[in-house]
Amino acid sequence: MDEFLKKMAAVLEVEAVQETDVLKSFAAWDSLSVLSTIAMIDSSYGVNLHASEVQAATTIGCLWRTIEAKKRV
Amino acid sequence: MKFTFHHKRIAGILTIVPANERLFVDDMKNFNFPEARSLKLKQVMGFDKHRVVAPGVCVSDLAVAGLEHLFKNGLLERDGFDALILVTQTPDHLMPPTSNIIQGRLKLKHDMLCLDINQGCAGFIVGLIQAFMLLKQENVRRVVLINADVLSRKTSPQDRNSFPLVGDAASITVVERDAEDSVIHASLKMDGTRNEALMIPAGGLRLPSSPETAVLEDVGDGNLRAKDHLRMDGSAVFNFVQMEVPELIQDLLAGVGVPLEKVDYILSHQANRFMLEKLADKLKLPREKMPHNIVEHFGNSSGVTVPMVIAFNLAEHLRRNRSQVVLANYGVGLTWSAMLMELGNLNFCEMIEYP
Repeated sequence: MDEFLKKMAAVLEVEAVQETDVLKSFAAWDSLSVLSTIAMIDSSYGVNLHASEVQAATTIGCLWRTIEAKKRV
Repeated sequence: MKFTFHHKRIAGILTIVPANERLFVDDMKNFNFPEARSLKLKQVMGFDKHRVVAPGVCVSDLAVAGLEHLFKNGLLERDGFDALILVTQTPDHLMPPTSNIIQGRLKLKHDMLCLDINQGCAGFIVGLIQAFMLLKQENVRRVVLINADVLSRKTSPQDRNSFPLVGDAASITVVERDAEDSVIHASLKMDGTRNEALMIPAGGLRLPSSPETAVLEDVGDGNLRAKDHLRMDGSAVFNFVQMEVPELIQDLLAGVGVPLEKVDYILSHQANRFMLEKLADKLKLPREKMPHNIVEHFGNSSGVTVPMVIAFNLAEHLRRNRSQVVLANYGVGLTWSAMLMELGNLNFCEMIEYP
C-alpha cells in the first residue's frame, strides 16, 4: 500500500497522498492521469483496469481495493 | 489467423506528407483546458508538430503526386504493375473507388485490378496480405499498395483527444516476387464486437450527414465534437493494445521459433509516444528497438505510420542492408496484426512533401 501511495502521488503530481484522499479533489485528475494510472497499475501489479473501473473509485483506497479484488481473480 | 508467404518482398517505400505543418502549442488555443494540463499531454503523448492537408486536398491528390514522383524518377514504370490497392478510410467519394480515380487521373492501363480496402491503423499489414495473395497470380508481376488518409478533415479541432494526434499522409509500397526463398509469417485477429471504439458515426447510410450531425456537442472533459467527426475511445484503445498486441507478437514469434532477441526492429503503428513506450516495456524490448518518433514530427496518419517509421528512421540503412523486422499494427475494427519478415535492399525508401 505504501508503494502504491507513492506511485499515485507521482501520477497526481503532489508530494504525498493518503488512502482517504478523494481522486476528484486533485487538480491533475483528468483523462490523461486516468490513462497514466491504468498503465502504472498494469506494469506494477499486472492488473488491466478499464477507465470506467478507475473512475468508479472515489478514493485512493477504493482504487487499491479494486486492484486487490482483480488480483485474486 | 496465421498466414505464410514465400518468395515475396517489399521493393520500395515512398511516403508523402503535406507540406502544411501545425504546432501543438497553436492547437492548444482551441482547447477548453488548463494550459498546464495541455503541456502535460504534450510531454506524455509526444505531441509537438503534425502535418495536415490544406483545405480540399483529398487522398487521390497525395497518391497521384507520389506515383508521378516514382514515374518521373525511374523508380517505377507506369505500366510496371498489374494491381493497385488503396487502403483508406477517407475516400474521395462513397463511390466510385478512389483507386479507380487514381488509375484514371494517371491514365494507367486497363489491364489491371484496382481495389479499395476500408482499413485504418492496421491497414499496412492488411494491404500487404492482399498484395502477397495477388502475387500468386502469374499475370500479376508487381502490386502497388497505397495507404492514405486525410483524417484531419474528419476531426474536430476542439477535441483534444484526437485533433493534436492526427496527421495526414500517404505511402506507396511496391510489392513483388523475390528470387530468394524468403518466408514471411503473419498473424491477424479481428473483433467486430468492439467496432465502436474508433468510428466516424455519421456520413454513411446508417446516419447520413445532415445539419444535425454537424453540430458540435460537449462530449465531456471540455471536448467539443460532432457526429461527423472521428470519435476515439482513447483508454479503451489503450487497454486493447496492452492486452492483445504483445501476446500476438509473442505468439507469432514462438510459432516460428524466432526469439525476440533475433528481431532487429519492431516497426509498430505510431499510436502515440505513451502507448508505444508501454508496448515496448510490456514486451521487455529495449525502447530503441521500437522507433516511436513519428507522432511528434508528423502526427498519427493511420495506416501510413508503419511505412513512415521506416522511411523516417531506416531509409539509408534499408537501402543497403537487410534487417529482420516485425511489423505490428492495430486499430479500427478492431484489428490487430503482426508480420515477421526480412526487410531491406530496397530500391527506394524516401519521403516527399505535397505539394
